[in-house]
Amino acid sequence: MAVVPGTTDLTAPYWDAAREGRLVVQQCRACHQVWHPPLPRCPHCHATDLGWRQVSGDGTIYSYTVVRHPTHYAFAEKIPYVLAIVELAEGPRLVTAVTGVAPEEVRAGQPVRAVFREIAEGVALPYFERSRTSSPPEDQN
Amino acid sequence: MTRRDAAIVGIGQTAYGKALPGTAWELAMEAVLAACADAGLDVAEVDGMCRFTAPFEPVTEAMLVRGLGIRELSFFAQAPHGGEALGAVVMHAAAAVSAGLASTVVVYRALSQSRGGRFGRADGRGPGGAGPGGGADADVVVTEQDNLSFAWPYGLMSPGQLFALWARRYATVHGLSDEDLTRALGTIAITQRAYANGNPNAMMRDRKLDWETYRGARMISEPLRLFDLCLENDGACAFVVTTAERARSLRDDPVWVLSATQTLSPYREPMGIYTSGELLELFPPAAAGRLFERAGVGRADIDVAEFYDATSYMPLRSLESYGFVPDGQAWRYVIEQGTGPGSPLPVNTHGGHLSEAYLHGMNGILEAVRQLRGTASNQVTGAEIALVGAPAGSATILAR
Repeated sequence: MAVVPGTTDLTAPYWDAAREGRLVVQQCRACHQVWHPPLPRCPHCHATDLGWRQVSGDGTIYSYTVVRHPTHYAFAEKIPYVLAIVELAEGPRLVTAVTGVAPEEVRAGQPVRAVFREIAEGVALPYFERSRTSSPPEDQN
Repeated sequence: MTRRDAAIVGIGQTAYGKALPGTAWELAMEAVLAACADAGLDVAEVDGMCRFTAPFEPVTEAMLVRGLGIRELSFFAQAPHGGEALGAVVMHAAAAVSAGLASTVVVYRALSQSRGGRFGRADGRGPGGAGPGGGADADVVVTEQDNLSFAWPYGLMSPGQLFALWARRYATVHGLSDEDLTRALGTIAITQRAYANGNPNAMMRDRKLDWETYRGARMISEPLRLFDLCLENDGACAFVVTTAERARSLRDDPVWVLSATQTLSPYREPMGIYTSGELLELFPPAAAGRLFERAGVGRADIDVAEFYDATSYMPLRSLESYGFVPDGQAWRYVIEQGTGPGSPLPVNTHGGHLSEAYLHGMNGILEAVRQLRGTASNQVTGAEIALVGAPAGSATILAR
């Protein structure tokens, strides 16, 4: 039993992309700014000609919390889980959950990367996992 | 609205308790009648009402007008955003009487959560709970509204989890260890419980809180523990605002509304997703500036502060955001100087939402009025000016 996002015409493209394993944010075709969550007009220049830009999926943990006490029966069995605000490399932030790491090892500032998980038929959410630093190890010789 | 143009002349409340008999309607009427009696007014004279919007206020003006036999309201306004309306309802009431739109404005707040849902029970009846009506395994579909469809699917569904994100950000930005934060938050929780122990209205009046109990309590959403989060309860509060002239004829200790503010900025509406801007900054500093400038007082003039405390983190950060303590210093200030009796600025002298009751800031206004009348249980000697403030900037400065 999952908690799935209901969609609107405005938000559907985000979730459609997630189903395809792509992370996208809205972009203004006039001033090229990006933002998330989606809005009907560009919040910077008010243009209505908007598109969606696929982002890298890279980000850092801006803040996080380890949930230890359930407040909804749908998540009671997932305790403990890690909620986070992740700041994408491209700028926008989003609410998400951090997976693939012990809750005790999560820290603000850690680099993360988007992964997609199907939570219900035809519904996928972007989660974030710890990612290694991008610089390769120095040559030992 | 100029200074000393409007005053609070009556306050009233029900008992506060986990599950009170009576509907929110009945509780509201009890509180409103008590406030009018305290003011020496007949409730039939009420001609204005201010309240929170639904779903934060279940009792409508119409229910009270019918239920109390009020002749007519010539002014009635609702303010959104739950506890962030605490300054707004004062603002609207004071502005109404100042502008001559009404002369006797009741502000009320009634809560019967025992008949709604509570966050702590995970029973699905509270916010975020669609209930198991669709069968035990049916998916819950979050209707998109105010970006909740981007948060709830991950299990970010309660204010406590959101406040934990805020507290963690504070620790990250200012370099606090978990222990530093625990000591600061625990000091606030324990200080407020001690205030409640001396307050006959407080739900926690008979329950002591020491460090062992505080630290040993269950972690709800790290770094916030059980006693870092407010009570859940039933009850109602009300107060009456009137013109300066009327106030002086009614009592010799009217409580003047020196200023009151509302504020709203992108992604700062409670309880949204706060994904833009610096998370520590819940409102622009200009809103606090406005509050003090309009009142014509400085921070040093405030004798007592009642900071909305859905979590212990809020009074901590409010000391900074309202300009009493520099950013990043409140955690140390609270540990070293405290907010208890005799401290430079006593905070939440009734025990607050953590230990008196959770009436979304309204009981803080009542406490401020008592402090300024000199009738509070934990009276601050000679209190003349009080600030009641919510974490995202809605506030009021009151004076005797």
